[in-house]
Amino acid sequence: MIPINHFLVLSAIIFSLGIYGVLARRSAVLILMSVELMLQAAAINFITFAVYLAPGEFRGLIFAIFVITIAAAELGLALAIVLRIYRNKVTANVDEVDMMKW
Amino acid sequence: MTVEEGVFYVIAGATVIGALGVVVARNVVHAALFLILALLAVAGVFLLLAADFLAIVQILIYGGAVTILVLFAMMLTRARDMPQALDGPQRPLAALAAAAFLGTSILAIVSTEWPGETEVITRIPIEDIGEVLFRDWAVPFEVASLVLLVALVGAIILARSEEGE
Amino acid sequence: MGINDAWLLPLLPFAAFAVLLLVGKYLPRRGDWLAIGAIVAAFVLFIPLLADLLDNFDQPGFEELARSGWGWVEFGDFNLRLGFFFDPLAAVMVAVVTFVGSLIFIYSTAYMQGDPRYGWFFAVMSLFVAAMLTLVLADNFLLLYVAWEGVGFCSYLLIGFWWERKSAAEAAKKAFITTRIGDIGLLIGIILLWREAGTFDISEIFRFAEEGGYSTEYLTLAVLLLFAGAVGKSAQFPLHVWLPDAMEGPTPVSALIHAATMVVAGVYLVARTLPLFQLADPVALNVVVAIGLTTVMISATMGLVMTDIKQVIAYSTINSLGLMMVALGAQQVTAAIFYLFVHGFFKALLFLGAGSVIHATDKQEIDDLGGLQDKMPVTALTFGIGVFAMAGIFPLSGFWAKDEILHAAGAHLNWVVLAVLTFSVFLTAIYMARLYILTFAGRPRNEHVYQHAHESPPLITAPLIVLAALSLVVGFWAFDQVGEALGFPGGIGEFVFLVGPESFEFPVLAAVTSSIAALAGIAFVYGLWRRGDEPASLLARTFPTIHKILRNKYYLDDAYQWVVNNVVLLIGGIIAWFDRTIVNDTGVNGTARLGVLTGFQLKFWQTGRLPNYALAIVTGVIVLALVFLSVRA
Repeated sequence: MIPINHFLVLSAIIFSLGIYGVLARRSAVLILMSVELMLQAAAINFITFAVYLAPGEFRGLIFAIFVITIAAAELGLALAIVLRIYRNKVTANVDEVDMMKW
Repeated sequence: MTVEEGVFYVIAGATVIGALGVVVARNVVHAALFLILALLAVAGVFLLLAADFLAIVQILIYGGAVTILVLFAMMLTRARDMPQALDGPQRPLAALAAAAFLGTSILAIVSTEWPGETEVITRIPIEDIGEVLFRDWAVPFEVASLVLLVALVGAIILARSEEGE
Repeated sequence: MGINDAWLLPLLPFAAFAVLLLVGKYLPRRGDWLAIGAIVAAFVLFIPLLADLLDNFDQPGFEELARSGWGWVEFGDFNLRLGFFFDPLAAVMVAVVTFVGSLIFIYSTAYMQGDPRYGWFFAVMSLFVAAMLTLVLADNFLLLYVAWEGVGFCSYLLIGFWWERKSAAEAAKKAFITTRIGDIGLLIGIILLWREAGTFDISEIFRFAEEGGYSTEYLTLAVLLLFAGAVGKSAQFPLHVWLPDAMEGPTPVSALIHAATMVVAGVYLVARTLPLFQLADPVALNVVVAIGLTTVMISATMGLVMTDIKQVIAYSTINSLGLMMVALGAQQVTAAIFYLFVHGFFKALLFLGAGSVIHATDKQEIDDLGGLQDKMPVTALTFGIGVFAMAGIFPLSGFWAKDEILHAAGAHLNWVVLAVLTFSVFLTAIYMARLYILTFAGRPRNEHVYQHAHESPPLITAPLIVLAALSLVVGFWAFDQVGEALGFPGGIGEFVFLVGPESFEFPVLAAVTSSIAALAGIAFVYGLWRRGDEPASLLARTFPTIHKILRNKYYLDDAYQWVVNNVVLLIGGIIAWFDRTIVNDTGVNGTARLGVLTGFQLKFWQTGRLPNYALAIVTGVIVLALVFLSVRA
């Protein structure tokens, strides 16, 4: 049997890598891919808790289903926005899009 | 080390490698490929957690649709063959933040007394998932489908070319 | 019309003030007739009230009957009531204020004629009369204090009536600030009394004190603080310095406010609260006597050397006030109030007479006057009567009143006080006689002034005549027979008293000694005059240092000025610095600048770039996570 902490640590690592990616990458698409990683880690967490700690009611599983669903929807919209910005500014690099500056 | 643990470490390793690849690759296409690896490895993790339905869902949606989506977006937004750094100026701070977060998380994980049995994985049969999904969670289910519809329509509107563009 | 209609008395002049203030300049003659009408009406109204009072004041249940008024502000222990109480003491005060006031108002129509602020004069005088009447009729300390401040304010306005003259503006300021020092004492005293008794009502506080509600030390302190107010308002030492300067105001003002009425408010206050003084430690009454006596002596000595006719009369007023305080210190309310009553007449007479001289000659300094009795016979004669009354010559009113006080000092205090008072009688006779002789008798010192001098118009001389006649006769009210003939139960002793009615006994010893002293003084001056000399020059030649000290008013003004310059202004400067630098620059401006600076520095965080914002979010999450972890642990 695998102890619960293994999965939790795994998801923590994935999440941290996702954070690094979000903060360090320039291209919007790459950032969105990192966000996907973070969502994956969250889903792993939900399922872990559901399966280990509350198998009678499996809300974690249901939640993970919804996480996947919403993540996909969000990714679609986000990429549409990135395309839009690219069309206006001919760049998908987030540090060149600073129209909301002081 | 039992067989289970060994399998776990292999799949976990694949996931981590995939994730690492996404965030440090020099080439966007490589990054996308690494993402596919990570997503599929996560499906494996789901299998290890005895959530077979979710593993299939993961492969279908992520491995299929999301990957295509990402690749398409990448193609449509490639800068014109200009070699540019893929990493922004925040790299050191980002590494620091990520490390800090990791540290905090692991601290939280190991210092928490998880209530309940922490060693046993219970498989949840798919019939039960279906029942609960369409009965107790029917409203969120419908709302989720609405969200998908909205996202779909929204993406189309946002992404299509205006007249004269 | 009964004694519970006493509230009408202050209302009439107050209404006159309000009307004059608002529409005065549109009325014919600027509305002086309205002011005069109001105060005369108040006097006329007083008469049936007095009749009703005489019927009732010695009956049981009088206290309830004498009250009138309305509640105004009430919450908890704090009760400001417009309450009025008409008893014999108040009646005497009202009589003086309304009668003498009416004469002075009539006099002012001629004296102030042609002044650009003629209407304003009558407006403020009406307000003053209203406030003074409220003061003497008030049945609770809070209303009394409000009226007290009111008369002080009117005094300020009227002293500085010709404020274009810097000396007048300064004098007004000095009067206000000096009396303010006393007023603070009065206010604290009132608050102390209220604090324990839970009420401002004077009768209730008396009952509370009699039942022992206050400890002796507490009551003594409160009573001494009340006396501080009297010291300021009645120009007792050391707060007497404002009264001579107050002569900058128009002469009718000096006559009404600084002779007959406002300055006696302090005497009235002590007389009214004397029951509390009796319950307090004897040191309180001793303080009253001591201060009164000091006042008597310094004013008498200073009056000798002054050369402005109004100033000499001002010092004589301070002298008289000191005498009244000594009488009160001997717990002789009858003597003090009797003197207050007659003093109102002859002191007003003296001031109005001086005003007549000023009106005719435009001069106030003795050096410019002299020999005026040929040119201004009526003024000279009436002024002479006033001088004799002040000096206490038989059978004028001043004689009877002064003797009552001397008798009281001898019988109830000690022979030292009596000796000092007798000496002051001597000095008073000297300086009053000197004043008359140098102003009216002998050869004119300024021919030009003499040529142009003429008797004043009837509106000025008529009040003088009335007041002179009264100064001759009101003293006889001391006699029981006279009082009964007028409808009183007896002489003044049967009407105004502290413990019980006092029938009149002729004080032989006091009469004899005071008459000798007064006549000696007058003879002394006359003798010097025949030799072409006068007392002040004699003093300057024989004791030049003393003369110098007296001329400089014992250097008290200089002392006060030194304190103001070095202590008050210093503290004020520090506080001003504090307010300017710390409160304003650092507190107010500094806070504003801090906000602007912080905003300016912080705006650079809005880079507009997504990664920076994401980093901020992640940092926040980490911090929160750590916080939750530590809290949970």
